[in-house]
Amino acid sequence: MTAPRVLPSLDAVIHAQARLRVMVALSVLPFGEQVTFSRLQELVGMTAGNLSTHLRKLEEAGYVVVAKTFRGRTPVTSVSLSRDGRRALEDYTATLRELLAPAAPEADGTLP
Amino acid sequence: MDEGQRARGLAPAGDESELSPEAALGLIASERRRALRSLQPDTAVILGVWGVAWLVGFGVTWLASSGWLGRALPPWIAGATIVTLSAAATLVTFGQVLARGRGVHGPSRGTSSLYGWSWLLAMVCLCLLDLALEHQGLPAHLAPLLWTGSTLLVVGLLYLAGGMIWADPLLYGLGAWVLVTGAGSVSLGVPANFAVLSLAGGGGFPVAAVAARVRSWQSAPARP
Repeated sequence: MTAPRVLPSLDAVIHAQARLRVMVALSVLPFGEQVTFSRLQELVGMTAGNLSTHLRKLEEAGYVVVAKTFRGRTPVTSVSLSRDGRRALEDYTATLRELLAPAAPEADGTLP
Repeated sequence: MDEGQRARGLAPAGDESELSPEAALGLIASERRRALRSLQPDTAVILGVWGVAWLVGFGVTWLASSGWLGRALPPWIAGATIVTLSAAATLVTFGQVLARGRGVHGPSRGTSSLYGWSWLLAMVCLCLLDLALEHQGLPAHLAPLLWTGSTLLVVGLLYLAGGMIWADPLLYGLGAWVLVTGAGSVSLGVPANFAVLSLAGGGGFPVAAVAARVRSWQSAPARP
């Protein structure tokens, strides 16, 4: 009698190509650094509409912080990775590695 | 879907189709490498242009002051070569730092700009000090030793500071090397000091540039 191997589940917020790319690009910046919306758009190569949609989802999950400020009279939107976001990306990467690691004998369903 | 995405075999940015774990790990590695390349100044390029400035600038000065080439190489050409190459290397450095840091704000920008101002302040005061000594009767044969020795002391110390600020052993090591070669060169006198600065001082930069390039490959591996 074998129990099925329990596979760890992936964070659905990050596990989408576009959002993963945004998270990785932001994670390269040191903690506390912000990047303007337009520079981020350039870094990930997305349209403004597309990037906004994905940023909203990441913001709802608490993974990114979107701040609107003014430089003179021009509004500037800045984006940064939150502490939770950084941890979520680390966990997500660890889960991917776990999924790809060859199943260890004791994790192969021989334990109850 | 742009050219880059097509080349990397990626679906359009908005695509939410299922990513396999392998593809996701590959994407993390490639995006990380790409983001690092566009956000961080290329240290190897910066060290490379400074290496050329040292090797050629001090090399030409060595040839000019040794007198081997007679009148073919007047001293003013040596001075002009050093000034031109240093100015070009400064422009390349600024270009790299400004282009890569575009649109990025935060605590580290403040540190970087203070570091930049430290260079300007130190160099201006250094020129004032050396010019004042010359004006007050410094013997002419000591002037080249004063200028190179004092400049390299300041350069070496600022590299040490950079190494401490960014916890970068490579920059710190280069600072130590500049200090040692700068101080050592003065003890040899003209023109041997210029040979030391060109070959030993200038030789340290290509070594550091190669080390920086190897390090950037290691920090962004092709496969995680």
